[in-house]
Amino acid sequence: MTDLTREGIKATVGEEMVKVTVDGQEFEAPKGQMLIQAAQNHGTYIPRFCWHPRMRPVGMCRMCLVEMETPKGRVLITACTNPVADGMVIDTKSEVAKKAQEGVLEFLLINHPLDCPVCDRGGECPLQDHTIAYGPGESRFVEEKRHFEKPIKISDLVYLDRERCILCARCTRFSDEVSGDPLIEFLDRGNFTQINTFPDQPFASYFSGNTVQICPVGALTSKAYRFRARPWDLVSIESTCPHCTTGDRITVQASQNEVLRFLGVDAEATNWSWLSDKCRFGFEFIESPDRLTSPMIRQEDGSFTEATWTEALELVASRFTEIRDAGKGLAVLGGARGTNEDAYALAKFAREVLSTNNIDCQLDDGLDPQFLAATADRARISDLDSARTILVWGPDLKEEHPTLYLRVRHAVQEKGARLVLIHPWRNGLDDRATHKLTYRPGSGAALLTRLQSEEGEVATALAEGPLVALLGRTGYGEDGRLAEAVAAHVRSLGGKLLPLARRSNVYGALDMGLAPSLAPGRATTDNPGKNAAQILEGLAEGSILGLLMVGSDPVRDVPNGELARQALEQARFVVALDQFLTDSSRLADVVLPVEGFAEKEGSVTNVEGRVQKVNRVVPGPGQSRPDWSILDDLSDRMGRSINLVSAEAIAKEIATEVPAYVGVTWDMLDAEKDGVVVPLPEATQPLVYLPADTPGKSFSGELVLHYARTMFDDGVLMRHGPSLEHLAPGAVAILNFDDARRLGLSDGDQADIKTSQGSARLTVRIDPSMNHGLVYVPFNQPGIPSLGSDPVVTVTKA
Amino acid sequence: MSVRRTAPTNLLTTTIDKAARWAQSRSMFPATFGLACCAIEMMATGAAHYDLARFGMEVFRASPRQADLMIVAGRVSQKMAPVLRQVYDQMPDPKWVISMGACASTGGMFNNYALVQGVDQVVPVDIYVPGCPPGPQSLMHGILTLHDNIMAGKA
Amino acid sequence: MSGLGAFLRGLRVTGKVMVNTVFGDGLVTTKYPQEFRQKPQRFHGRHVLNRYPDGMEKCIGCELCAGACPARCIYVRGRDNPSDEPVSPGERYGYVYEINMLRCIFCGLCVEACPTEAITMTHLFEISTANRRDAIYTRQELLMRPDGSVPHMFPDDPLAQLAELDTADGWLRATAPSGVAAYEGVQAWQGTPGPASWAPEPTQDERDA
Repeated sequence: MTDLTREGIKATVGEEMVKVTVDGQEFEAPKGQMLIQAAQNHGTYIPRFCWHPRMRPVGMCRMCLVEMETPKGRVLITACTNPVADGMVIDTKSEVAKKAQEGVLEFLLINHPLDCPVCDRGGECPLQDHTIAYGPGESRFVEEKRHFEKPIKISDLVYLDRERCILCARCTRFSDEVSGDPLIEFLDRGNFTQINTFPDQPFASYFSGNTVQICPVGALTSKAYRFRARPWDLVSIESTCPHCTTGDRITVQASQNEVLRFLGVDAEATNWSWLSDKCRFGFEFIESPDRLTSPMIRQEDGSFTEATWTEALELVASRFTEIRDAGKGLAVLGGARGTNEDAYALAKFAREVLSTNNIDCQLDDGLDPQFLAATADRARISDLDSARTILVWGPDLKEEHPTLYLRVRHAVQEKGARLVLIHPWRNGLDDRATHKLTYRPGSGAALLTRLQSEEGEVATALAEGPLVALLGRTGYGEDGRLAEAVAAHVRSLGGKLLPLARRSNVYGALDMGLAPSLAPGRATTDNPGKNAAQILEGLAEGSILGLLMVGSDPVRDVPNGELARQALEQARFVVALDQFLTDSSRLADVVLPVEGFAEKEGSVTNVEGRVQKVNRVVPGPGQSRPDWSILDDLSDRMGRSINLVSAEAIAKEIATEVPAYVGVTWDMLDAEKDGVVVPLPEATQPLVYLPADTPGKSFSGELVLHYARTMFDDGVLMRHGPSLEHLAPGAVAILNFDDARRLGLSDGDQADIKTSQGSARLTVRIDPSMNHGLVYVPFNQPGIPSLGSDPVVTVTKA
Repeated sequence: MSVRRTAPTNLLTTTIDKAARWAQSRSMFPATFGLACCAIEMMATGAAHYDLARFGMEVFRASPRQADLMIVAGRVSQKMAPVLRQVYDQMPDPKWVISMGACASTGGMFNNYALVQGVDQVVPVDIYVPGCPPGPQSLMHGILTLHDNIMAGKA
Repeated sequence: MSGLGAFLRGLRVTGKVMVNTVFGDGLVTTKYPQEFRQKPQRFHGRHVLNRYPDGMEKCIGCELCAGACPARCIYVRGRDNPSDEPVSPGERYGYVYEINMLRCIFCGLCVEACPTEAITMTHLFEISTANRRDAIYTRQELLMRPDGSVPHMFPDDPLAQLAELDTADGWLRATAPSGVAAYEGVQAWQGTPGPASWAPEPTQDERDA
């Protein structure tokens, strides 16, 4: 079945209960719930194709016909469009209902080709399963079936086979109702009705992969999984998505020790079975042939030679010990992409073995670690559904937090919440925003002051609770303290907060102490170390000599990439724990191969503080090892053992030693698949941090830069996935028409974009929706140097 | 084990070596090691219709000390593995092993905890005979291949 | 009755069989490898991957054989058919096809599962190897050559029985012609590997006529 609803379907309607009888069994269901849902919750499965628990009913396929008793006799009704009513008596297995279901299936199969052997859905196909369970067994149709060209590529990721389509409208409803980019629609009439995209317009949705998962036949198939395996030889293990901070629950499916597919799981707390394409198709890096398989040591000429673990670890240990004992600086960058266990091991290693507090898991692109780790007025994702007003003043959710974007969209569209959207430019949520405010980066503080003082529609909307605010940096020119100032204002209004940051396990890493000012368990340290930007500066100027990078790529990931490059080149000794040779680890002296996602077990923490399990599905490539074991080995060789035995043992240590995580065990996470939100009632939350109203620096210039991320970029995990590597939009500079004319630029011209920290030659695009005095450049696009976090920019025609 | 391994290579010893190989391949005595259904086919191979006596190996010896070929006929359970090894160790050199049938060779369709997944985890195998079970002709094909290999000095 | 009498009576049977064997027609031994026992028509020997008369591969890489295999000895991976030079009809072809003959139990479920009659069995059963690796048959060994002959793993082996590869296990048609269960008088099985010698399913016009 494609509906991966784990615990049946939850009632989303009123509290009033009505009595219904289905197949002689009487039960109570909330009034207004659809019959098909109520019946399923009480153990009666009514066959369906078009109905999906997370979308509006449509009654397209007629498969759910059941018989209902009425005063005028028994009638057939569709269970998916009829809500339960008091005293309803339903028969789902009567002769008439059975005959109706058989008839519907015979009709559906009239034009369905019998190419199950070559169909990716074969073996997990609802149409196959329903035909066996409810079908007539034989068809009376002997005429020629309908023919279409098959398959057609409707986007870079999705193929459409119109012959197989049974016109259930699941994909069209998804893209219309859920993701909000209706790029796939019905065409033609009658027997010639078909699903297709609009001419010359590909199905370029960030969420197109979901339609593949919910398609009840094999009409929509994905490029990444196409013909790779059959469902019956897949091993399925539930895990948590490694790409964004929402903590989407996924099923990792592998065959012959090769990860072949991610499927969304209907987790009530997080992703409701939806995934972005980056997440769904971002599994290919696991099997990439470029994965590191043995330790590498850099030679004089810059090339790498393979080494044994002993050689590599001895070298690292001796050089690190030398730097540490000489009292020179050591620093640690990264650790926000792994598990909590690895983060804990890294924090322990850094503090106890390297004796340093220069630790940062955010790469100069986030918010204050204490603000992110503190739980003062932290909202749950589910609070969005009951919110009256939602304030989004942060990154474009569609680009950076895609499943959260879907949740916000759902709350506004289906639950009637009001959306106040504040962003420098166009945003994925624009079409659902009740109030949209735009501003130039640098003038955010002024806008906030205006909101605080003025009476107006927006202020009124914000004052009316319950208010949930999603706050973060809209772009890299933005000062992180602005979000804190907004948070302070939201707190004064009695609202709840979700502070947004990047990298899948950044919240877990901060909780484990991977921040200059945090100790494990959301506690403050006495003598804070340097943060990422200061570490890089220190390396560049020589006050810090050694660096340990853990799954981080500062050269491509820090806004000021040039500084990172200088830092790595100047550093005396750099060690990288990485899965790939990245632009940064290429500059390291020793690169150690680590096991990555789906290759190690552990726990991760999401944006609302929910701890969930990630599981091991396949073995790591070559001689790769988990982070903790490398660090443990190094600590032994450096003479200060941190005594780690296994990831599970670390988890037990965390559950006893780390205040906010007391009581969180793997057993609990395995049983409670949606995870638990820390701190649990018995745990403590030592960190008290209230956001302060210090909106940071203001600035203005003739032109300011809006420098923000896109979903697909030149990130290392995407670079090594064949499906995703070409999807980055590419580097452009987007300007308003007036600004372009003033600068003598027209669409398609080359222009030099220059800030105090970097420059690049980019193609100019003119967009009327762009604000005056604003230049938008997407961050980290292939082949383009970074522009840094200084927002004052000059544009000259090349 | 052949003469070659202990004597220097010259005309005399190579000829002796050849003679020894000929003798070894012409009078192999199999040890009885029927473990399951394959053993029925192994017995049939020894009987009149196929008549292993034609190759000088009609007597299945009950004592490993009188045998130089072990035909592992059937699935080897984990408990049987040490016994199998002991019998093999008791056979005098030179000695050969034929793994007869899918179960002995790889575990066959019984990919589970109870069976040794391939008898070559326990003893060195010279010839694998596929089949479930292999017919007498298949087994004889295996035996003749072994003879050829011995004559060629490959086994 | 004395023990000696019984003994002689028993020996008489032995003597009779001996005389019959040596002088009469009582010899039952087949002198393998000089002569062969005739195998029954539906004997299950090693597999062959068939082709259509036009040289296209019948295998579509659907992995149903691998799914049906109780020993899990078949490994298949499908891939998109190259549109300029298709390997098999349709969208997909099997670009990896491997059978581990040492795990195979020659049950023939793969033949039954195959929707395109791509995999059938021959009569060759004498396929012992001295090496585990040689027992893994890949596309190279399994796939029939375009001229219809079947490759042998060791064609130079003096014991190789190439003729047995030209005899099939009497494989049946996978589906009834035109989807109708009753098809009396229509050839149902064939004794050689390769394309089926039976007529293709009639088109709709032919059926209606």
